Amino acid sequence: MTRLRAIFLTPAAVVMGVLFAAPLVVILFYSVMSRGVYGGVELPYTIENWTRLIDPLYLRILARSFVMAGAATLGCLLLGFPLALFISRGGARKNLYLYLVILPFWTSFLVRTYAWMFLLRDTGLINTVLLSLGVLREPIAMLYTPGAVLVGLVYGYLPFMVLPLYATLERIDRNLLEAAADLGARPWQSLLRVMVPLAAPGIRAGALLVFIPCLGAYLTPDLLGGSKTIMAGNLIQNQFTNARDWPFGAAVSLALMAVVMLLLTVWVRREKAPLL
Amino acid sequence: MKRRLFLMSAAGMAGCTRWGGARLNVFNWSSYVAPDTIPNFEKEYGVRVRYGVYESNEEMLAKVFSGNSGWDVVFPSNYFIGPMRAQGLLAPLRHERLTNLSALDRRFQAPQWDAELRWSVPYMWSGTGIAYNRRLTPPPARWADLWNRRLEGRITMLDDPAEVLGAALKKLGRSVNSTGTGDLRRAAREAIAQKPLLRAYLNAEVRDQLVAGDVVAAQLWGTTAQQAMDQSRDLAFVYPEEGFPLYADCAAILRESRRSDLAHRFLNYLLRPGVSADISRAARTAACTLIPEDLRRNETLYPPPEVLQRGEWWQTPPAAVQRLRDRLWTEIKSV
Amino acid sequence: MLALYAVAAYAFLHLPLLVLTLFSFNASRFTVWEGFSLAWYRAMFRDGQLAEALANSLIIGLAATALATGIGTLCAYALWKRRSPLVSGTLYLSLVTPEIVAGISLLAFYQWIFRNFGWQLGMHTVAGAHVAFSIAYVVVVVMARLRMLDPGLVEAAMDLGATEWRAFREVTLPLVAPGVAAAALLAFTVSFDDYVITSLVAGVDSETLPMVIYAMAKRGVNPVVNAVSAMIVVGLGALILLSERLRKA
Repeated sequence: MTRLRAIFLTPAAVVMGVLFAAPLVVILFYSVMSRGVYGGVELPYTIENWTRLIDPLYLRILARSFVMAGAATLGCLLLGFPLALFISRGGARKNLYLYLVILPFWTSFLVRTYAWMFLLRDTGLINTVLLSLGVLREPIAMLYTPGAVLVGLVYGYLPFMVLPLYATLERIDRNLLEAAADLGARPWQSLLRVMVPLAAPGIRAGALLVFIPCLGAYLTPDLLGGSKTIMAGNLIQNQFTNARDWPFGAAVSLALMAVVMLLLTVWVRREKAPLL
Repeated sequence: MKRRLFLMSAAGMAGCTRWGGARLNVFNWSSYVAPDTIPNFEKEYGVRVRYGVYESNEEMLAKVFSGNSGWDVVFPSNYFIGPMRAQGLLAPLRHERLTNLSALDRRFQAPQWDAELRWSVPYMWSGTGIAYNRRLTPPPARWADLWNRRLEGRITMLDDPAEVLGAALKKLGRSVNSTGTGDLRRAAREAIAQKPLLRAYLNAEVRDQLVAGDVVAAQLWGTTAQQAMDQSRDLAFVYPEEGFPLYADCAAILRESRRSDLAHRFLNYLLRPGVSADISRAARTAACTLIPEDLRRNETLYPPPEVLQRGEWWQTPPAAVQRLRDRLWTEIKSV
Repeated sequence: MLALYAVAAYAFLHLPLLVLTLFSFNASRFTVWEGFSLAWYRAMFRDGQLAEALANSLIIGLAATALATGIGTLCAYALWKRRSPLVSGTLYLSLVTPEIVAGISLLAFYQWIFRNFGWQLGMHTVAGAHVAFSIAYVVVVVMARLRMLDPGLVEAAMDLGATEWRAFREVTLPLVAPGVAAAALLAFTVSFDDYVITSLVAGVDSETLPMVIYAMAKRGVNPVVNAVSAMIVVGLGALILLSERLRKA
């Protein structure tokens, strides 16, 4: 590499090394140490934190995170596919439609999650409207449920699904669909048999872009799930605050990272166009 | 390039004291001072106070544990003082600077958790009980009532390992300070059995939901319950029959603090009966200082002797018990 | 029928924020509409803590954006010219690392270092954290723009006698400028909005706007949050409009 390129690369390498990689090494060490009674870490070294991960209690949390992330991905797919289809057929207005999808995403994630708290509370807008219309006699508890977390996740990450789907759908040759119709296929048949398989790369990209962040979600289950829907992110945060078990928190963090890296490696191998 | 340097130095300067002049950083429980308590102190001593709030002892400890958090004064509950002292987090108090110590109620002049008041000054005290909506018939009177299936989805417990396990222990007829492994594990099982009925684990945040009627029964501190009752006539509070824990939040100075003089002045200021009474009136707390009779008539904040004798002061558990409690709490939260 | 679905989907995407904005003008604290009022906005402007938090967010955001954009652009150019699996891999990882993991690892790292130097958490620790997680975003955006360029241009410039540095400054950079601007806006948005990492590594004097909003949101019904939210939506929305204009330039 020329000297200029080496110089250009150095600041980034230093920053990432010091402020990203080194911290991960620190928690790697923490994960094999013992906890201080009131916080922090102390010797002796131990693998107890890692063996504790195999406890069904914590595996269940990991499983729950997977299920929730999967459900959110599916929700985004079901909601996002028709929307992406609509945009790809938008003609001259395509950019406007696309922009309307991106716009809410760029405003604060925290604010958008709070908006759902505002809507779903017992005294929130949805309950107030339904009560005043006489549809309900008592408010339904929507906040602090897994459903609320699911809605929050889908709402938060829908644009991540729509954009790659749109990019793929836009490139599908219209003639293929016409050919299917000519051969006698009904609209839904050509959708399932022709369009979806052709959109597969977009579906995979979108699924990954939604699944991985949802797996490590913290803010959404924290605000919308109360303490009832605890996901991996909440477990980690708990260990570093209330439970004061830094080594165990470090072990859970690294386990989560390992899962994420595994998923990423699998995906990068399959896809051909890298981001970086 | 120049622009980048400028912005970097701006960020660097922002890290230093921006306002100039003496500053004190106080970290306290939420809703625990009167609106003019801090401004009056600032005016009298010509300083600026940065006032941060927290909702639980654990939250506060997590922030100050490293020993370089930047806070000067914190308010741990009495059972946290021993551990914090053992970790070297607290600075010894200089009594010659605390001239108002005599204003303390006799009960708090030599408390069991800090007999010489070397590390802390009692600030406000209360007990934990059940805040509930009067609509509930029959009204809850025991901890066991919070395990009632009828109330599913409308109950909360405190987001505090000691309190949740404490309530379960009382339900089982044991002391809140039990150290027996068997007792604690049984208490944890009770808490896990209760979890499906709970809406959430919330501290003072539940106040608004009680007032709104979303929550009909909550494990809550007397002070917070009184604040809620001020906002809604439908609410009431009870100290459960099986017994209940008592706590005193105390002011302490962190060892890392470089403003020890000012911090002592602040503690002394809080000890003034006038200041203390103002805080009691505004924040609805029970002060550890002597205050006028008319403020002591509230039964939630100052339970009558026959109720008070059912109460137990929190004690610091030994290290092994603390570890067990923390692990059980993780289990309860993870289920 | 697809159009009908699209309308419903857009409603789902936009209604929560529109409703929030609408109710920020509600005279009542509760969700019953009781008339138009600017009371919450007045309360918001009077709140000293909010003002200080906003100032902190802006200072940290600008500093982190400046650094991340500079470092990231240079890095993107270097990667465009010659692959570096190590750097690329680290940046990829940074993008997918859950925020909570990045936050606690940084906290642990800072504590460990600071114990030896007696330093404290503060604006600098937050800014550093923001730079670290923003660089990857900047690199992605600038790379995308770089890939649209003809690499032959740089070579042509060098054939004509320019050093690589000069070619970068006078050929590549101007062509890539809209991408850099878009990346800067992206970095700013990401930094301004961050809660998880910031709340973990913030010090006494570095409370940011998202931290204040989070505390208010957790504490219950507080209409001032609605006002603050509305302002953030409008503010960031305007920034994004700007970003789109620049990107198309």
